[in-house]
Amino acid sequence: MLFVGSVAVANAQTPPPAAASPAGVPPTWAQGRAVDGMNPSLVPNPSPVTAKAANELQIDKLKVPSGFKVELWASGMVNARSMTESPSGTLYVGTRFPGNVYAVVTKDGKREVKVIAKGLHRPNGVVFTNGSLYVAELSRIIRYDNIEKNLDNPPAPVVVFDALPKDEPHGWKYLKLSPDGKYLYFQIGTPANIIVPPTTHATINRLNLKTNKMEVVATGVRNSVGMDFHPTTKQLWFTNMGRDWAGEDLPNDTLHRLSRNGLNFGYPFCHQGDWLDPEFGKGRSCDEFAKPEVKLGAHVSPIGMRFYTGTQFPNEYKGNIFIAEYGSWNKTKKTGYQVVRVVLDDKNKPVKTEPFITGWLQGETYWGRPADVHVLKDGSMLISDGEAGAIYRVSYGK
Amino acid sequence: MMAFFNILIFFSSNSFAADPILGKSKSQMCMSCHGENGMGISKDIPNLAAQPALSIFYQLIQFRDGLRKGGNMENFAKALTNEDIKDIAAYFSQLPAPPAKSGGDEIKIVLGEKIAQQNYCNSCHAVKFQGQQQAPRLAGQSAEYFIKQLKDLRSAARIDMDGNMGSAAKGLTDEEIEALAAYAESLK
Repeated sequence: MLFVGSVAVANAQTPPPAAASPAGVPPTWAQGRAVDGMNPSLVPNPSPVTAKAANELQIDKLKVPSGFKVELWASGMVNARSMTESPSGTLYVGTRFPGNVYAVVTKDGKREVKVIAKGLHRPNGVVFTNGSLYVAELSRIIRYDNIEKNLDNPPAPVVVFDALPKDEPHGWKYLKLSPDGKYLYFQIGTPANIIVPPTTHATINRLNLKTNKMEVVATGVRNSVGMDFHPTTKQLWFTNMGRDWAGEDLPNDTLHRLSRNGLNFGYPFCHQGDWLDPEFGKGRSCDEFAKPEVKLGAHVSPIGMRFYTGTQFPNEYKGNIFIAEYGSWNKTKKTGYQVVRVVLDDKNKPVKTEPFITGWLQGETYWGRPADVHVLKDGSMLISDGEAGAIYRVSYGK
Repeated sequence: MMAFFNILIFFSSNSFAADPILGKSKSQMCMSCHGENGMGISKDIPNLAAQPALSIFYQLIQFRDGLRKGGNMENFAKALTNEDIKDIAAYFSQLPAPPAKSGGDEIKIVLGEKIAQQNYCNSCHAVKFQGQQQAPRLAGQSAEYFIKQLKDLRSAARIDMDGNMGSAAKGLTDEEIEALAAYAESLK
């Protein structure tokens, strides 16, 4: 892939943390909260501090399409989120809190969960390649070499890249290896709900693993915590979280395609490709920016996503994009808390988006929150649950 | 009116029920510092009386798992199971709330109330700082303890679970933190 239109190259120094905000500036979650605006009782959902025991998981409440089956695959991983699998079948799982990385190994049909790292700083992103596990913390990328043989006694990590901002808001990262294996892709989220961000932020970046140089590939992306490459076009598709406190039903969270490097997706001026920000959109036009492929609904919180590359599911699922929606907080009636599928036509245009698995939300109460999806070699699909600390397996047929 | 209903369900849907009577017997060691009535025996020790059970659960889990440190709590909590922690939390949560401190510095208290509004502290810590769900009660809390915790959250010396308290504390000066502490202590 030619790299045209790169926007910036990181300097070698670690940027300083964001300057302190002046007194009276509300905490990040409340920024942009209009006085006469939305339901004032809305506050972010708390992170879980424990994993649910297997017998507390309400798997029987999960609804799947006819012919599919969902079962518990592994549990006991506090805040289990992003997943990556090694060629030998070890599944690595990152977390936002409490800073653990887990490995799930299957031996003689039995699954065992090992804690391979503790006390990391928001180790949300995980990628396994060339015998090493890469982990994206909030402000650095580290690597565990030869990890497969040392799961019970992991080596000290090698720091791969640490010239990343230290801002906490939207600072946790998703990590994805490019199809050619040369680059690690990750986002730098905006350090607030809605501001004109520094040029480093609200971007998707890639790190060249050979030269250790970082490049921006997309701007105007508020916060993308899920990405995957199309299996044949090799283009990057990614989810994005829309701003809060602008409405119960606006703006939409979105699914995007990076048709060429250097595109600007609109934040903070234009959201969902066609809706100017009430404050920052003044004097701007949405025509300046790249459009989303799909509007997913406001506040659904789409994060992990994968193209379905397996053969186990029926034909109509081939090439679908599966997206884990972590679920809303900035909306009175809860929404999201499900896995959806996006059906593409033969020109890779999305033609349909519909729920694939629901049931984590019961009434206005959630017992789990899907965080990432992963296609296993046999074509079945894993779903991580960041609230319950569990992973489920979805299969089709017998 | 608050949106933490889900946690309430999580907390009560477990296969066992938290038991305050059992919790009292499991809290003998806690009482030597936090008092049988849940009132800290010195100003640097927090009052636990009437804290939301889930807030005690959250903090004790973080102490036990070595994520939060202070007052040697990381060692005291080491051997506790989730069940122990739930029982202990149930005991302290049902004790009568600490009295409001009278005779505090009026100017500080008024300023503290204003900062609390500007920073939406009440959204999680509730209207009169009585706490709810995982957000601790601040009303009647020792000012000395309050000030140290908020400064530690500001400097990241104390772990910040999801970034919300760090971002809330980031813009506050020492004087503003002291005002918030005076305001909190004046409430019941």
